[in-house]
Amino acid sequence: MGAVDKKSVLVVVRRSPYGSSLARASLDVALAAAAFEQPLRLLFMGDGVLQLLAKQESEAIGVKNIGRLLTSLPLYDIERVYVDAAAATRYGIDLSNAPVTTQALDGPGIHQLMTDCDHVLGF
Amino acid sequence: MLCTNAFDQEGFLRKLSDWEPQVAEQIARAEGLELTCAHWEILHLLRDYYREYDASPAMRPLVKYCALQLGADKGRSIYLMSLFPGSPAKLGSKIAGLPKPDNCL
Amino acid sequence: MIYSLLVLSCPTSGNCTQTAAAFAQCVIARGHSIHRVFFLDAGTYTGAAAAVFPQDEADRIKPWLELAQQHAVELILCISSALKRGMLDQSEARRYEKQASTVHPAFTISGLGQLVDACANSDRLITFGG
Repeated sequence: MGAVDKKSVLVVVRRSPYGSSLARASLDVALAAAAFEQPLRLLFMGDGVLQLLAKQESEAIGVKNIGRLLTSLPLYDIERVYVDAAAATRYGIDLSNAPVTTQALDGPGIHQLMTDCDHVLGF
Repeated sequence: MLCTNAFDQEGFLRKLSDWEPQVAEQIARAEGLELTCAHWEILHLLRDYYREYDASPAMRPLVKYCALQLGADKGRSIYLMSLFPGSPAKLGSKIAGLPKPDNCL
Repeated sequence: MIYSLLVLSCPTSGNCTQTAAAFAQCVIARGHSIHRVFFLDAGTYTGAAAAVFPQDEADRIKPWLELAQQHAVELILCISSALKRGMLDQSEARRYEKQASTVHPAFTISGLGQLVDACANSDRLITFGG
């Protein structure tokens, strides 16, 4: 890719970390966009907030550890991710222990985030 | 020395558990490289990256990780390319016994 | 307007890929253009060269082949999704020493960079399935 216009992308993650291959696929999309220096934001909603659980261990099921992958987001210049506050509460997720810095959003905040981005990719 | 069957067509290890420093030397030789201390510093860093993040790094996060761990002088793509010509993330991962980075990145 | 499509679902799972193909046809009929269709995750099964459908059911692959043949629509399968699902073109089949390629030639296997490029170069990116 040569010099291209930058369009901002919002990746909306709604899958629990190990129940669907889309969980990992959505993060791979986010990392690819970041690696190509496209403005990228991540929003975790619904079951997706489970990806923010601390101390994930996936070796026993032979798949990559999503929690550990999330800790590498700052290396892609993604310093923080957005989280549906209501979903985090519903699932009892302690965001202060999440693998990556989070910013919790309420309904209007989520709406604004989606409006602000050129493309919304929902997984 | 591992036999050629231990590697796939691109020279990556089929079984990551086969890796040890002598194997790294073997892979490097096959790539026309002789490993110096500078190479090993990055190879150990690559293995640390993989242990920490459960993924082989793409170029961009690798450069940033190098900068954080080894300082700004070494955290530059030009420095990494001087050691591992072409695609430092891919070539470095191969020699360090990491999985092939997903072509996606 | 320039559109790109992201297809996430397997062609036999619900209606998503049929809707996506029909959407693409409508986009073109209205005078817009399709920059790229990117198949990710289970969507990569859409590229199956050997899929067989009963005579009294819709052929889920054919609408995509028509888009490629009649309108030169670019159909990309994400490489890491495709490989895990046994979707290999000739070059990947050779690389991984598999007996046969399984992807229809109308589809190209490539990386997520193509999806990122689609985001950067499209006015609208529509996701189907998931």
